[in-house]
Amino acid sequence: MSTCSHAWSMVNIRNGYLVVEGCYKCKARASFFSTEPRPPVDDYQDGEHFWTYLGSFQAVKFDLACDDCGQTVDLDDMMGLMLSTCSDPDCEVARIAKEGGKGTWVYVALCADSTHASGKCVSDAGIAALTEYFNGNIRDANKKVVVVPCTKCKSIDTCRGIVIADTGLTDLY
Amino acid sequence: MKVSELAEKIGLNSLAEYTDKEIEGVYISDMVSDIITGAMANGILVTLQTHKNLIAAANLVDVAAVIFVRGKKPAADVVELASRAGIGLFVADMDTWSFATKLIDLGIR
Repeated sequence: MSTCSHAWSMVNIRNGYLVVEGCYKCKARASFFSTEPRPPVDDYQDGEHFWTYLGSFQAVKFDLACDDCGQTVDLDDMMGLMLSTCSDPDCEVARIAKEGGKGTWVYVALCADSTHASGKCVSDAGIAALTEYFNGNIRDANKKVVVVPCTKCKSIDTCRGIVIADTGLTDLY
Repeated sequence: MKVSELAEKIGLNSLAEYTDKEIEGVYISDMVSDIITGAMANGILVTLQTHKNLIAAANLVDVAAVIFVRGKKPAADVVELASRAGIGLFVADMDTWSFATKLIDLGIR
């Protein structure tokens, strides 16, 4: 186990599109990151799923690297971050925010598959590094960021929050 | 220079209650996804973007204040979220470049 206390920096910053798809049979949602100049919009079948393009948003992806020990944490499994505004008493994310009290802001790290059928989500190492990175940069002593994986949401499809993606950018022009 | 001092010198009124912080830098961007990779803690953010998710991004990197240029005004729920986060929100009628030159004249970079 590393004894380094880690000084994380963003590395490997990539600009592209977060593409969201939905399966019209089982209603599952999935997303992926595309660095193509125009995000793909084709419908296709993958096993039991029939994926249809739902939309795309300009987004950015990055990894984290420790300036001290050189460890790099790959965040390829994270599709985005969402500031939780959930108040459902049955949702663990809402509970974490409530227990944290004023000044605690819970951000949900969103993985590619809302069903979590594969059992995978954003890695524990990624969640820990994101939490350390953002809190390490905060100057306000009364503010704390808690990053949690989207498996903590009671239902990622109904959980309330504000996704950090450029949903409204084209409305400006 | 503190946020309140900047506001006074340029003649801006905050739309939100905010924690008055010492300004440590400036970032200009209209993409919320870009803000989390470029903006800095205690910095001010100059933007045209008034969407609520801009505050979610600014809060994550601990931005001190957001200045909406060209007179763009955010919705009430955006102001409420910024107030909870202690982020100052100001509206300037000038365009981004004109505002940037004002900041440079005041020694803020």
